[in-house]
Amino acid sequence: MNKIDIGNKEITITSSKELYIYDKEANNRIYNIEKDVVLKVYHYNYDSNSKVVINLNHESAEVEYHYSTINYNDNNTSITVNHNIKNTISNIYNHGVNVLNNKLHFDICGIVPKNIENCICNQENQIINLTNGNSTILPKLLIDNYNVSSSHSAYIGKFKEDSLFYLMSRGISYDTAIKLLVSSLLINSGKDSEELNMFKENIENI
Amino acid sequence: MLEIDKINVITKDSKSKILKDLSLKINDGEIHAIMGPNGTGKSTLSKVIMGNYKYELTSGDIIFNNKSIINLSVDERAKLGIFLAMQDPTVIDGVTNSEFLKTATTELTNERINYFDFIKNIDKCLKDLELSEDMIHRSLNKGFSGGEKKKNEILQLKMLKPKFIILDEIDSGLDVDSLKIVCHNINDYLKENKDTSVLIITHYPRILEYINPDYVHIMTDGKITKSGNIELAFETEKNGYNGINDVRKKISNE
Ligand SMILES: Nc1ncnc2c1ncn2[C@@H]1O[C@H](COP(=O)(O)OP(=O)(O)OP(=O)(O)O)[C@@H](O)[C@H]1O
Ligand SMILES: [Mg+2]
Repeated sequence: MNKIDIGNKEITITSSKELYIYDKEANNRIYNIEKDVVLKVYHYNYDSNSKVVINLNHESAEVEYHYSTINYNDNNTSITVNHNIKNTISNIYNHGVNVLNNKLHFDICGIVPKNIENCICNQENQIINLTNGNSTILPKLLIDNYNVSSSHSAYIGKFKEDSLFYLMSRGISYDTAIKLLVSSLLINSGKDSEELNMFKENIENI
Repeated sequence: MLEIDKINVITKDSKSKILKDLSLKINDGEIHAIMGPNGTGKSTLSKVIMGNYKYELTSGDIIFNNKSIINLSVDERAKLGIFLAMQDPTVIDGVTNSEFLKTATTELTNERINYFDFIKNIDKCLKDLELSEDMIHRSLNKGFSGGEKKKNEILQLKMLKPKFIILDEIDSGLDVDSLKIVCHNINDYLKENKDTSVLIITHYPRILEYINPDYVHIMTDGKITKSGNIELAFETEKNGYNGINDVRKKISNE
């Protein structure tokens, strides 16, 4: 899988690949995924609104979307996956950290219409409030077909006290423990890339 | 080394009283064991020594090397050399064992670590504990078997070199051979670090046959109700906690 750069636009993905994206201003992104193509996206967002639409237009199209965001201001993230044909797969992971008393909103939607068979449509959402931020997650699965495997989960809260206690009991300070936990939430599976390095810097400066 | 002076402890949420006027003194190089029924407050005691914020000390003091530590944060206590091997080590997904140990070592020593020495040291400790090498690249405690979790606590102990060690049911979840390995490692550590003190929390005297305690205490209902030597552990195993109480009642009635 090779790495390419995309701007703020609609793109059609014709061969399997991994994309790395770093945004620090509002963006609309539309992906059209072709037959037998597996697209993996690592999308890092720094404190901005984001709108993503993924169209699975051909059979055996598959998307794995890792969206990670750090926020200081009120921001919205909207991700919509359209399963436009049978035998398509989507796995969406949205992880956000809310640093201040701001409002972060996730609106995540998977759509499988009535006549579309044999799809897998999953989403997992998590927002961690580091202070007393106000966050909301609206996970939506609009599924009209019985022959679909789907799941969704949403967690909003703070890091678990037990995790902090464990890390600190080994001499790790509170601030460092928080950064370790933020990194593990936001860059869990991302491989080394320029975009990841920029994002790591944002984590370092929380 | 450690002096616990009449502490009373409640939980922050429910305000229920867990430790009641508990006192315990552990000198340099001593090994103490605490036994007691389920839910009597043994793990709570260990977490209170470590500074867990779920509990509130309503009175009493905890002195470590002549200084009160009750106002210190968890990491500050660790930096003084207090180490708690937990009964149920926490799973932290996404933080690898090696990243965790590197960070802890750096923060404890306040120096940049020498990676070459660090890796050599980890490799040796893994071998000593008969743990497989890939453990170090996995997320902290995630998917570890019960025994692997306990060995991983001892791996951290060997790497971080504490002065005061609390072992909260380190023996539970370990098979016969693993228990031997873990105890050998602890004994070797104690041989090399003669001033190190240990508090062993356990339900079974078997671990105490490997790591010989100077004192054995029985804890019931939030305080230490009886102290003795290793015989007390065997007696408890034979007669149960009620048995001990019956014997005590009989004595005090006579
Ligand atoms: N954070 C907490 N909130 C509420 N209750 C708690 C909390 N921590 C401990 N307790 C209660 O305090 C009591 C003592 O718990 P603790 O874990 O210290 O027992 P223990 O002696 O270690 O038992 P075991 O032998 O089963 O490990 C129990 O009744 C437990 O439910
Ligand atoms: Mg316990």
